[in-house]
Amino acid sequence: MTIEAPSATQSTVDAMVVQHQVEQFLYHEAALLDSHSYEEWVALFTDDAHYFMPLRRTMTRRQLHLEFTKPGEMAYFDENKTWLETRAAKFATGTSWAEDPPSRTRHLVTNVRIVKDDGHELAVHSNFLLYRTRLKNDVDQWVGRREDRLRRVGTGLAIVKRFIYLDQTVLQSGNLSTFF
Amino acid sequence: MTDVPSVVDRLDDLVRLDTGELDRRIFSDQEIFDLEMKNIFGRAWLFLCHDTQIPKRGDFFEAPMGSDNVLVVRQRDGSIRAFLNTCSHRGNAVCRAEEGNVRNFMCTYHGWTFGLDGELVGVPGKSIFYKDKLDLSKHPLRKVAQLDTYRGFVFATFDETAPPLEEYLGATGRLGLDLIAERGDMVAVPGVQKFTVQTNWKFTVDNVFDYYHPQITHMSAFSVGLIPAPPDDFVEGGAKSDTGANLEVPFLPTDLHNFVVVGEYGHAISGPDQESLEVSAGPEPFAWRHKPEVEERLGRHGGRVAGHPHIFPTTWVTTNAQLSLRVPRSPDVTEIWWFSFRDRNASQEEQAASLDSQIHFFGPAGMLEQEDGENWAQSTLQTKGLQSREVPQLLKMGLGTSEVVKEDGLAFMDAPINEHAQLWTYHAWREWLRNPSWEELRERTIPRDRY
Ligand code: FES
Ligand SMILES: [Fe+2]
Repeated sequence: MTIEAPSATQSTVDAMVVQHQVEQFLYHEAALLDSHSYEEWVALFTDDAHYFMPLRRTMTRRQLHLEFTKPGEMAYFDENKTWLETRAAKFATGTSWAEDPPSRTRHLVTNVRIVKDDGHELAVHSNFLLYRTRLKNDVDQWVGRREDRLRRVGTGLAIVKRFIYLDQTVLQSGNLSTFF
Repeated sequence: MTDVPSVVDRLDDLVRLDTGELDRRIFSDQEIFDLEMKNIFGRAWLFLCHDTQIPKRGDFFEAPMGSDNVLVVRQRDGSIRAFLNTCSHRGNAVCRAEEGNVRNFMCTYHGWTFGLDGELVGVPGKSIFYKDKLDLSKHPLRKVAQLDTYRGFVFATFDETAPPLEEYLGATGRLGLDLIAERGDMVAVPGVQKFTVQTNWKFTVDNVFDYYHPQITHMSAFSVGLIPAPPDDFVEGGAKSDTGANLEVPFLPTDLHNFVVVGEYGHAISGPDQESLEVSAGPEPFAWRHKPEVEERLGRHGGRVAGHPHIFPTTWVTTNAQLSLRVPRSPDVTEIWWFSFRDRNASQEEQAASLDSQIHFFGPAGMLEQEDGENWAQSTLQTKGLQSREVPQLLKMGLGTSEVVKEDGLAFMDAPINEHAQLWTYHAWREWLRNPSWEELRERTIPRDRY
């Protein structure tokens, strides 16, 4: 088997630029979350945004198509932009004790793939590790994947849809007082 | 060796009804936990799941029963059975999924196969290796002692001498479940939230009755309007922030009008009186109650409940058509499971609105409950300090000031926020731990005339 050396045609260069823009956008977003700039983070969502984290259940291989709940069923997060704003506002009240003292979080985003681009919107898949430490020795880790739909707005990008699929069924943490 | 008496020999000192004080050891002691598993979870009727979670033949749901896990399975004839999820051969779990549908349960260790009814129907090498000497009928999956449903809620017990479910629930427990069932043609919303808190299960249970904590613990939820804001003239100080500033503690008018029910075997209800809640929240959330047949079913007192019913030992009914199970896994680890319900005859919009509020209040991302876990975890942690655990746990609020009225099978008190229901739960808990006969247990948990 031989592997053809890629030739830097114009279209591959364009694809790399888009890939770079998308990755930079996701890193920027992660940095906002890790610096607790929640209101700025929510501003990255479009007004019609849908942010959803289903429940996951251990199912047999035969029934694996039922592993995740769907919109309209129970979920951990099923948010429109107003709900995201309410959550951000709640963190800012100064009395949201689950985050006072604040947790330390690190959002690591990897395996970024643009699976569709119609010129207006992009379907972007990524994996993440969210590492959270709290108080003296509380540690939570969430690994999973995200399916985003990003929209080109002005010179940048905005999040239209984010579906978050965690790699846990019975959650090992006492809460999800964070964003993914 | 020390000659310190075992905690079990000191049950009377662990829960003091006269002073409203508890011994903090009960929240982290392994010996107590083991006794709870045996004398409480080994005997009580425990909630397993809802009828509509397993509608079709072969549908199953794995549910905790104390230190065991059982498979709740829909039978060919439409009935429900539950048996331990452990192979009668050498113990392997015969089912690894949390829920789903099967034709039978084949153990993946050596292939013993069990029917939906738990009977052993297949053994590889039955004639070649066992020489047909194994009596299959003697090795089914071990069944629960009794299983029954009340209005679609499936319960089971490991104790064959336990009283029938309806009798166990009593008027108090039945009322709790009626407060979901009476809302309409209720079905389970697909998906049970499950998460893990580093706490003793009893903290998660007594908090159900605790209407003293929301104004502080959930202050941020008040601030963003998740809970309707109280009128200004009910803002009262008392708490001071770490900078010394007075926190405006948002007391609600309902806080002066709580309705507490205490029942046999340790069931209880505590929280606002509905009429007073309607003053601040409006009549809308309670519209479903004002149909004549619902009013009749709930009764003149049942219809006043706008707080939290709890079925001993671990089943909490919310005001939002949800049911929460607190699952003890070890003295300091508790899983919280959320079951949610909706009226299948309600409009799409109503069903969506109901789900929306269920998702946003409770559960690990719920804007109320995400604040609760750390309080319980930290409270549990401190009970391990040799000095810290010597500080008594206080449940003194309202102690000795409330008259009990007994009518329509209910024993209830009208009072401002209080800690009666919590203390009642611990009183019952102690009586359960003594492992009395069912008759004695019932007698010892008949409410007195004053608390
Ligand atoms: S342990 Fe189940 S077949 Fe052997
Ligand atoms: Fe709470």
